Amino acid sequence: MVLSVAVVLAYVVMLTFVAVRARAAREFEDFSLAKRSLPLALVFGSLAATYVGPGFSIGFVGRGFKSGFLFLGIGLAYSAQNILVGLFVAPRLRALTNCHTLGDAIGQKYDKKCQILAGVISVGLCAGFAAVMAKAGGDVLHDVFALPRWSSVFIVVAVTALYTTFGGLRASVITDAFQFSSFAILLPITLLFVLAFHLKGGAATFAGQASAATTNGLSATSPIEIVGLLAAFLLGETLIPPYANRALASRTTNVSRNGFILAGLFSMFWFMVMIALGITARSIIPMDTGEDFVLFNLVKSVMPAGGYALLLVVLVSVVMSSLDSLLNAGAVAFTQDIIKPFVKLPDTSALNVGRAATIVIALVAAAGAVAVPSIIGGLLICYTIWAPAILPTLIIGLWIKRPHPLAGILSMGVGTVVAIMLWIILWLIFKFVYPSDVEIPPLIIIPALGAALLAYALGHWIQRNKSGA
Amino acid sequence: MELLIIILVIIGALFVIASGIWVAIALMAGNWHS
Repeated sequence: MVLSVAVVLAYVVMLTFVAVRARAAREFEDFSLAKRSLPLALVFGSLAATYVGPGFSIGFVGRGFKSGFLFLGIGLAYSAQNILVGLFVAPRLRALTNCHTLGDAIGQKYDKKCQILAGVISVGLCAGFAAVMAKAGGDVLHDVFALPRWSSVFIVVAVTALYTTFGGLRASVITDAFQFSSFAILLPITLLFVLAFHLKGGAATFAGQASAATTNGLSATSPIEIVGLLAAFLLGETLIPPYANRALASRTTNVSRNGFILAGLFSMFWFMVMIALGITARSIIPMDTGEDFVLFNLVKSVMPAGGYALLLVVLVSVVMSSLDSLLNAGAVAFTQDIIKPFVKLPDTSALNVGRAATIVIALVAAAGAVAVPSIIGGLLICYTIWAPAILPTLIIGLWIKRPHPLAGILSMGVGTVVAIMLWIILWLIFKFVYPSDVEIPPLIIIPALGAALLAYALGHWIQRNKSGA
Repeated sequence: MELLIIILVIIGALFVIASGIWVAIALMAGNWHS
């Protein structure tokens, strides 16, 4: 216990030192885009640190334990998404001049109203994702230090908000990259440690366990669930505001493209390592262990005393590196897309609004963490709203010559409303009609996305006919 | 500072890639399909 507290405190002090060395942002351009000067290694490291949250670490180890390599196939949809964004979208985003956010990009392609609506959706989603991360961080501190839940959430959010408020995107990116290196070194070491000292039978045992787990996973998962998960992994996190900000803050269009492609390729190896950790756990911990506890119990069973403290460092890194990116992206979207279209702000005021917004979003996330049903459940709600709400408008807008504002407004409005309505209807059905503990299926992304695309086509057709008449 | 962080990122990425390759080799060597 004392060792765990000491290691975590030492890590937080080291992280604060890294954040302080990253310097406080002095201009809004610095706060929002790190002056568009990020090199490839930082874009890549920060992207990977942001997408590796509790779901892609604890969650994937648990899924590997239960379903073997079935989830590698699903994870590959996420890798493909990153590579496709790198090839086709990120360089186009980076090529836009004077663009700070996704809302800005949509505003440049459509009009101011579209920018404001995109800003509202971006801020809402960042606060939602941040609440999920705050809950995850709070859970870690609560489990380890036995602190009350609310104070655990508050500590995680306060430390993260502190360096993000002053340092802006640069501090977020530098600390992300540092945190990436912590967990990218420590989790493979855990795997190697298990393989070297605890897995009897070597590669043959490992392959046997992998085969048994995967067969088990395939028989326990229906095809419709697999399609839903593939849709969520392919679309749910595509270009959420923190990723878009990193595309925009890259030094050049090539850095932007290659950062996403490398992050996509890296995710394949990452998923393999996480799933392999879950598979090795099958011969070490009881088979009835809950998915979210596989990594904890594995480390407790096989690592020496200090190993558990290091796991805490890994989990704190995983949570904070996602949370800081979301706080910064939400604050920048609020300032650039919601406030600036109404008020002409001098640079210092914009910087202060951005800082204040970071604190407010952090407080909203801390308060909202209590309402998050579960980590995966919370993430799925955000995924199912984000893709239909923003992706059609953003991607079509970047690719066609004259996108019509009505198409953008209709698509974003209909996508958001249909996703929320479908989610509420399914929630009511599973709560009252057929009471069940199942998660709302991520499959609702597909009809909501279909509705958003139809609304886009309708808006485009109406406005083209109007302007042609 | 930035250079140090970049070096750490590269080391971390290489750790994960090497482990991922080990997993792939272990699956092939362990006769996954049998």
